[in-house]
Amino acid sequence: MYVRIEDLYFGYTKNTHVLHNVSFAMQEGEIVAILGSSGSGKSTLLRLLSGLEMPSKGRIEVNEETLCSANTFVECEKRHVGMVFQDYALFPHMDVIKNIAFGLKHLSKDAKKGRVQAMLKLINMEEKSHAFPHELSGGQQQRIALARALAPSPDILLLDEPFSNLDEDLKTKIRHELRSIMKKTAMTAIFVTHDYDDALDIADRICYLEDGRIVHEEVIKRS
Amino acid sequence: MLSRIRRNINIFSVVSIVAAALIVIPMLNILIEIFNEPTPAWQHIRQNLLTNYIINTTILIGFVAVFSALIGVFGATMVTRYEFKGRRLLSWFLMLPLAMPSYIAAYAYADMVSYTGSLARMFRWLNIPLVINVMNMPGAIFIFTLTLFPYVYMLTRGALSKQSAAFSENARLLGAGKVRTFIRVVLPLLRPALVAGTLLVVLETLNDYGVVAYFNVRVFSFAIFNAFENLGDTPAAIRLSGVLMVMVFIIIAIERFIRGKRRYSMHVKGRPLPRVALKGWQRFILPSLLWVIMVLAFFLPLAQLFYYATLTFTSVFTLSFVYLTINSLTLAVSATLITVLIALMLANYNRGSQNRFKKGLLKVTNLGYAIPGAVIAIAVMIFFIDIDHVLYPIYQFINPNSPRLVLSSTLVMLTFAFVLRFMAIGYNSIEASYDKIGDTFTEASYVLNTSKVKTLLKVDIPLIKHGLISAAIIVFIDVIKELPLTLILRPTNYNTLATEVFRYAREEMLQESAVPALVLILVSSVLIYVLTHYKKKGVPINVR
Ligand SMILES: Nc1ncnc2c1ncn2[C@@H]1O[C@H](COP(=O)(O)OP(=O)(O)O)[C@@H](O)[C@H]1O
Ligand SMILES: [Mg+2]
Repeated sequence: MYVRIEDLYFGYTKNTHVLHNVSFAMQEGEIVAILGSSGSGKSTLLRLLSGLEMPSKGRIEVNEETLCSANTFVECEKRHVGMVFQDYALFPHMDVIKNIAFGLKHLSKDAKKGRVQAMLKLINMEEKSHAFPHELSGGQQQRIALARALAPSPDILLLDEPFSNLDEDLKTKIRHELRSIMKKTAMTAIFVTHDYDDALDIADRICYLEDGRIVHEEVIKRS
Repeated sequence: MLSRIRRNINIFSVVSIVAAALIVIPMLNILIEIFNEPTPAWQHIRQNLLTNYIINTTILIGFVAVFSALIGVFGATMVTRYEFKGRRLLSWFLMLPLAMPSYIAAYAYADMVSYTGSLARMFRWLNIPLVINVMNMPGAIFIFTLTLFPYVYMLTRGALSKQSAAFSENARLLGAGKVRTFIRVVLPLLRPALVAGTLLVVLETLNDYGVVAYFNVRVFSFAIFNAFENLGDTPAAIRLSGVLMVMVFIIIAIERFIRGKRRYSMHVKGRPLPRVALKGWQRFILPSLLWVIMVLAFFLPLAQLFYYATLTFTSVFTLSFVYLTINSLTLAVSATLITVLIALMLANYNRGSQNRFKKGLLKVTNLGYAIPGAVIAIAVMIFFIDIDHVLYPIYQFINPNSPRLVLSSTLVMLTFAFVLRFMAIGYNSIEASYDKIGDTFTEASYVLNTSKVKTLLKVDIPLIKHGLISAAIIVFIDVIKELPLTLILRPTNYNTLATEVFRYAREEMLQESAVPALVLILVSSVLIYVLTHYKKKGVPINVR
């Protein structure tokens, strides 16, 4: 298994638990949706996977590397995990190119440029490369955030409610777009949502999260 | 059309327009003077001194700006991002240097390091072969940095405590370590607050006269005073003011240019980063640095003043000193009340408006703070002499033996100048509170057919009480320690705490200056305590 999450427990304060005994596994290239209502612990789960929070118990393995266990904890900047935040959090003082290039500091100047161009092409936004975030629409901001997260070729991509800030009529189009981008890059991805239609359109599999517990799993059959 | 005009006339618009006119006219006087034939004294200044003034001023404000920015951001980062013993205390202590006027710190330090001073004696006693001279450019930079950095601290602390954690977290997920995250993301996002705070520091430095006069550092305010008081050459003083104003505008323009079309805020939800506990050596070293700054900026000069005050208390603390204190406080209170009241009218007039005329009016009324006190003083004086000139027939009608100048050189003129200079400070604080509560409550009240004034009294004022109180406190502290304006515009034989400190210092009676200096510092410190500890009870500050 490419991703293995075992027996994860977490609470923001002592003696309270937001997540209980969360376990699941994923194959490489699989897209899993975590579906749950508001406050069920979806964002918290992503924060644990990305290393922004430390679980009180449990184990996380990605691509044969133990990111977190009883005696290891890999810091978030060393995890090769990409994440798209709920409101994108694009850096407002950088233009599109600088935003996407932010995670590529290990590359040479030319390689960086090439990678940024490839990302812009992937999300189909070459013409906006010098725009600043405040000059972009919500949908465009989201695609830039996606490109920024994908640029360093993370082992796994996490998306937090990627559609919650978008207009209803844009959603269907963007859902398909998102799925096609992720499949094109063969990206292993987890995204969380409270909307069943989102999950149905994008995911290969849905995990239902209720009060911090995974209560049910459902495989989506696609023709 | 007429009905539209009538609809637009109300107490807010009338006050705003009159206030703007009263501020513009004196400034125009200065501009006009620049186009007059230059005097021989000006030729002399321009050929022999001007370059020097420009270089000195640039060096002074350059270093003070950089050092205050460093200390201010360091302090703000420490108290918002880290947890350590004494953090809560430091978090408001670091505001206290605002209560220490730069010129008082300058007098105290000059005395402490002089041959007979306490520090110099301590060095000799400890056999440290260290002789410090502060009465020079580096000394001035030291004094201004320590007394003015709280402006940067105050604004960047506010911005940091609101900055969404999402930005830093994103940077770290993209592989940036702590340092890179701070330099590439946290710091750039602080830029508006950092620039605003540093600008305040620069403007206060340009405004100062007490420090540069005592240390004999030849910068612009020194030159303006010299031309005005010693050479009696008002036109030359006005020309110097003009050059100084151009310098200020160039600084602001450069910042705007560098900023370009970038923005520094976006609506991103999320809490600020939680504070993390300092570890290892950092636990002792970093907070100690802050305490050293606090001691140097506040407690050391304060201790010196206390000691001197015990020596001179009986001779200085007379009935006339009590009167002087009361005078000083009364003047500051009335100037503060008028400033805040007009600022409130302006803020109301301008609320939620995109109207160009209103925006222009506002820029004008907020110009005062960008213009050094000495310049405002001269402008206001010319203005009041003109007014007296126009009103003279009326004076004669009332009293045939009336003197020619009635309003000039009265407290009316001085108060007017204070209001003009500090309007921006009051306004900005009130505007920020209005931004926070939004327009819904006021609109609801208008819909219920409540009059504008009644809405202001019953709805707005209770909601923005906190903003009003902080505006009043900051303006009050600024007024009570203001020196250059007061020196030029006060009525003959009228003294305030600030001018009394200045007078003693000029006569080398530093020990005697301690009592008025202490009263000034203590009053301001108490107000800063109130400002930092005032809780908003039952007021929905965060609605929207
Ligand atoms: N930083 C935090 N500190 C304390 N409690 C938190 C914090 N973040 C989230 N919570 C709590 O944890 C629970 C799960 O939150 P979250 O993971 O954000 O849910 P979801 O993303 O599914 O809406 C909620 O009850 C929320 O109030
Ligand atoms: Mg969430």
